[in-house]
Amino acid sequence: MKSVQFSVASRREGDAAIIYPKGYLNNLSGENLVIECGIYIGKGITKIVVNFSETDLINSIGISMLLQIIEDLKNIKGTICCTNMSKLLRDTFEMLGLMQHMLVFPVESDALTYLKTGKL
Amino acid sequence: MPFNAIPAEDFLNREPELNYLKGLSKLKANALGGDVFLDGARGMGKTELQKQLYRILFWENNVVPFYYSFKTANLKGTYFAQDYFTGFVRQYISFVKKDPSIANNVAEPLQRLMPTISSLGLYWLIDCIEDFQGHVNKNDFYWQLVAAISAPVMAAQKMGKPVIVMLDDFDEAAHLYESSLGDAHGLISLFGESMRNRLCPHVITGSAGALEPIFTDHSLIGMTERMRLGPLPEDLAIALFRAHLTNLKITCAPGVQLEFLDLLRGNPFYIKNLAKAAWKMQKNVITEKDLIECYSFEVSDGETAFYWASVFSRYVKNPAQSKAMLKLLMHAIENGGIEDGKRLSMVSGLGEAETETLLNALTTSGIMRVKDAVLHDFIHCLYMKEIEGRNVSDAREKIEAKYIQEREESCFELVIPMSSNAELVVAKAVEQIGKNINLDAEFLNYLQLALIEVCINAIEHSGSYEKKVFLKFITRPDKLEIIVENSGRPFSLESIKEVPVEEKMRLGMKRGWGYKLVHKIMDSVKVERVNDRTRVILTKNIDNGS
Ligand SMILES: Nc1ncnc2c1ncn2[C@@H]1O[C@H](COP(=O)(O)OP(=O)(O)OP(=O)(O)O)[C@@H](O)[C@H]1O
Ligand SMILES: [Mg+2]
Repeated sequence: MKSVQFSVASRREGDAAIIYPKGYLNNLSGENLVIECGIYIGKGITKIVVNFSETDLINSIGISMLLQIIEDLKNIKGTICCTNMSKLLRDTFEMLGLMQHMLVFPVESDALTYLKTGKL
Repeated sequence: MPFNAIPAEDFLNREPELNYLKGLSKLKANALGGDVFLDGARGMGKTELQKQLYRILFWENNVVPFYYSFKTANLKGTYFAQDYFTGFVRQYISFVKKDPSIANNVAEPLQRLMPTISSLGLYWLIDCIEDFQGHVNKNDFYWQLVAAISAPVMAAQKMGKPVIVMLDDFDEAAHLYESSLGDAHGLISLFGESMRNRLCPHVITGSAGALEPIFTDHSLIGMTERMRLGPLPEDLAIALFRAHLTNLKITCAPGVQLEFLDLLRGNPFYIKNLAKAAWKMQKNVITEKDLIECYSFEVSDGETAFYWASVFSRYVKNPAQSKAMLKLLMHAIENGGIEDGKRLSMVSGLGEAETETLLNALTTSGIMRVKDAVLHDFIHCLYMKEIEGRNVSDAREKIEAKYIQEREESCFELVIPMSSNAELVVAKAVEQIGKNINLDAEFLNYLQLALIEVCINAIEHSGSYEKKVFLKFITRPDKLEIIVENSGRPFSLESIKEVPVEEKMRLGMKRGWGYKLVHKIMDSVKVERVNDRTRVILTKNIDNGS
């Protein structure tokens, strides 16, 4: 457990945005995540990849913020992909019934390939 | 009986106190003090200290010791006066002749001692005895008492040799009466004169709760200082227990640490009783587990139980009251004290007035205040028998189970402020605790999540002014138990509704998921309300097979 202070980094790759939440995903950092995605959606991006490789601890309030992003993307017929999730994170999403509302890939490049080619 | 003190070498850890008490008469002569109230938990050795002092002074011959125990005294004034007076005369002659048998022979009437007194040339004492007899013959209640109580002062003045007056369980003197109990208040204040005398230091014991009002009411407090008898340190407690075992020809199994003795908190009375219990139970070689078994015997049927039962019996008049008292005490133990108010009569099952009287008696006795695990176990045991109707062996088993389990458990406590990210401290702590007990690394991640959820729930929703979350981690070989407590708004598991994700998205309701996770992660989740606190108990069974 590293528990670094939370921060969000992001970059663009073609017509997709990739978001990197780092550290402890709680209410505050969840909000930052929503804001970060909101900026891309505002610019017309409909494909978002969230790479969780640097997220260590989470809580349910932080996770619930993801609902906001899922919903926003749904409204514009967009796609959300989650990648590099730890087993804990995957199980947690499963327990909360989130999995069916997102696409999950082992690593970021898999998600990007899918988004480009439409193939798994 | 002042002469049945234990051998000086067996009397542990009270040297400073003894030395101080030996010098009391000098202090008093110089008006620097000289009256001491010996304060200490029951069985801590107050009486024994007086007896040790007695023996030393007796043989040193510089100060005359006089010991009187109110515990067994008849408190009818005239009986008391007679007993106190003859007790003093016997002990005085005994001192002068250096013959303990005179003091010990309580059956011998004073008349028979007259020749001895004459031969010692103590003519003033003969006058004194005749004066006292005169008051008795005239049936003069008041003067009998005064003459008896002032006998030590009289002797000190006549001989110029200080007399140390040791009044054991002196609070009982508050109940001295003339012809029926409670008919004469304040007779205890007759001791004031004697206590103020420069030649007579007093060493007093008794329940602090009962003595404090006496001291303040009767301005006896002026020169009285409090000497506190604390517990024996851990190593000496063990040494004392081993010495008792040796006397009883019992040995300890190899490697036995006697850790269980910690429970007795260095109380010599409990230590002695436990050793005797081992003897009664015919143990030859004792193991840690035997100790627990002997202990459960002690608190259910042993001398410790007998002792506390007799203390209790002083405060109740009938079986109904005794049951009520048990319920109140059990209630106090379970709730860490007793709150005021009408609810208590619901607990006791008696009327409000009667409950109040009982409570007052218990408060004065000091029983309510003591944090004494042995007393608590005695109460618990009696409660199981009298109120729950369990049989003795069942009750004893319960007590034993508690300690057998406790031996194998370790416990960590943590308090966090209700501030942001404080839950991460908990996550960090539980990570290490988990490692200590070899918890599966993957499960540890889930456990962290569960705890974070419980803490956040407390922090976000309790509205507590105290702004603290109290956590306790108890690890046992077969399970991990985590207790999370906080003050503030009550909370129950029923209040958390299951809302599907779709619904949540639609309603924009994004909270209340936490406990869903907690339930999935832990084997059991319980929520209780204890006074103004919410207590969440999480347990996870540990599978030792894998
Ligand atoms: N310092 C000590 N070392 C060894 N044994 C002791 C010591 N003090 C007391 N004892 C023993 O412990 C037992 C209890 O002591 P004692 O009766 O003096 O306690 P107490 O404080 O007077 O109790 P109570 O409150 O019932 O009057 C006695 O058997 C006594 O001999
Ligand atoms: Mg005593």
